[in-house]
Amino acid sequence: MGLLRYTIYRLIQAIPVLIGISVITFVLANLAPGDPVRLMLQGQQADEELIRTIEQRYGLDQPLHVRYWNYMTGLVQGDLGYSIHRDRPVADLMLERTGPTLLLVLSAYLFAILTAIPLGVIAAKRRNEPTDHISRIVALIGVSTPSFWIGIMLIIVFAVKLGVLPSAGLVYPWQPPEAAGHGSYLEHWSETIRHLILPMIALGTLQMATLMRVERTQMIESLQEEYVKLARAYGVPERTILRKHAFRSAQLPIITIIGLNLSTALGGAVLVETVFAINGIGRLFIEAIQQLDYQLIMGITMVLGFMFVIGVVITDISYAYIDPRVTYGERD
Amino acid sequence: MATTESQLDDQQPDAEGGSADEEFEARVGWRYTLKKVKRDATARIGLYIVAFVIFIAAFAAIDSNLSRLTFGALSDYTAAQALPFFDHPTRIPPPGEGNPNQPPMFLDGGTLSQPLGTDPQGRDYFTRIVYGSQVSVSVGLAATAIGLIGGTIIGSIAGYYGGWVDDVLMRSVETVYAIPPLVLIIVFTVFVSGGSPDIQYAVIGVGIAFIPVFARIIRSRVLSVREMDYIEAARAAGVKDRNIIRRHVIPNSFAPVMVYATLQIGVTILIVAGLSFLGYGAQPPTPDWGEMLRIAHGRYMHSNIWLSIWPGLAILVTIMGFNLFGDGLQDALDPRIKN
Repeated sequence: MGLLRYTIYRLIQAIPVLIGISVITFVLANLAPGDPVRLMLQGQQADEELIRTIEQRYGLDQPLHVRYWNYMTGLVQGDLGYSIHRDRPVADLMLERTGPTLLLVLSAYLFAILTAIPLGVIAAKRRNEPTDHISRIVALIGVSTPSFWIGIMLIIVFAVKLGVLPSAGLVYPWQPPEAAGHGSYLEHWSETIRHLILPMIALGTLQMATLMRVERTQMIESLQEEYVKLARAYGVPERTILRKHAFRSAQLPIITIIGLNLSTALGGAVLVETVFAINGIGRLFIEAIQQLDYQLIMGITMVLGFMFVIGVVITDISYAYIDPRVTYGERD
Repeated sequence: MATTESQLDDQQPDAEGGSADEEFEARVGWRYTLKKVKRDATARIGLYIVAFVIFIAAFAAIDSNLSRLTFGALSDYTAAQALPFFDHPTRIPPPGEGNPNQPPMFLDGGTLSQPLGTDPQGRDYFTRIVYGSQVSVSVGLAATAIGLIGGTIIGSIAGYYGGWVDDVLMRSVETVYAIPPLVLIIVFTVFVSGGSPDIQYAVIGVGIAFIPVFARIIRSRVLSVREMDYIEAARAAGVKDRNIIRRHVIPNSFAPVMVYATLQIGVTILIVAGLSFLGYGAQPPTPDWGEMLRIAHGRYMHSNIWLSIWPGLAILVTIMGFNLFGDGLQDALDPRIKN
């Protein structure tokens, strides 16, 4: 099977999971006692006639399977539903908030990769030396600390006590500098970075710790491979061995871990956005939950699920692309 | 039927079994694992931390005035008020007798009787942190147990029968796995509770969200166990599938899952802390670490930083304990990873 056919095959395989996600979110959102309109009103008194009119207008008076069918036909056409609560299409609401979340998650991954890989390699090279022990302790603390607490601690140190970095909000690099009151792009973008540093570390620490552990284990294993021993016997310098022979084969599992951890990172974004008051998808989700805006909740859950599935498919495909040993068409 | 089954049980690889079984047992058995864990320094530290936290949690349940006992601090909690699973009519604690927002003992204005200071309502923070261990440990264990039981049932059935049963079960499980756990659990908690979330719903939600990972591990083990001779023998003797799964397949697939469960307790505590932090886990006045951080972050991040520090440290130490212990178990079971 060629790469293109493998890609199509993996995408087709993802379809049942995507349908499953829609069923789960739909069932959960409709599991609530009482109907969505009443739930949205949160116990406030409302005219029975008015409730019935709202229900009819949005098709909520129809049986569950009919509503699901309507929802799905809309979804296939790119319609994520309509938020009664905010009187706007769900897709529009989400699009507005996607940028900040993407910026946050991508920079967190960048931070994680740029720190984890060198640290993992050094730890593997100096196995059981002090450097290795320190990096392992850092990794252990990293996987044991809640991201939102790291965020709070960073705010306390760098914003409250030292006052060097901002504690809330984000400056959007895609906006013109004038909109944020900045004179030039240089000032605008440096503000973006300043706002991004703390949330990026808060969200990226868990990823960094996980990646570091994997990188270390992988490097230790690949440094014991036959071809590394052979290269050493030929007198290839240790640096070259590390860079050219051992390093490359150790990176494959890292890609898989990045893909699988996407789900944790997106969940973590909900927390980190709350701590740093960043108006991304995560906060939109929390707002939707607080308002029991169930169309919006469904839309977000669905899109996050889709993003994860597509992320895993992309990692699978890139894995197959990078590693010629991967036989196409095999699961896992 | 009963005799056939008990005879078949004897054919399972026991510690007292034949020489081949003995060798098998020597590599994967519990006794060997425990011995290795005892020798492993990190696992030992982890075990001590876990034991310490569980001891504190249990002790707090027995004596509701731990703080008074050890430090002479004033606290009006009772166990029923602190335990999240008891719906106590008077869950709102009486106001503490200390000053609100008192700093910890090593700062000016702190007292020895309130070692970590007091919260904005004047309640002793040390007592609340101690009670928090109870919430975290019980929540971690309960949610992991739900995931473990659910995952074991689904994974063993999927692995044992294979074919379309496997496909249907594992696809459904993958679907649950695809939604970010925190998001799925919040949606579950809010909608199932009808808009008034509490810790019970969070525990069930977390348990369900972690069924997939357990199901996958169990299934992969079952795939190899079901090819064993003793399963074949049981089937030939006419033992029902249900009994084969219950008495032979599950017990022999369990060891790696237990390791994973230990690590999972830490993850569960982490997620529930996040839930409470967002307001969808434990509700006030339950002394939950995540809930305490929510209050600290909301209003007191500038005026009283200590309110943010202690609960986070408590979470960190607890989760680190479970992680160290789990890592040690894993090293003992999988010598390939060991240095």
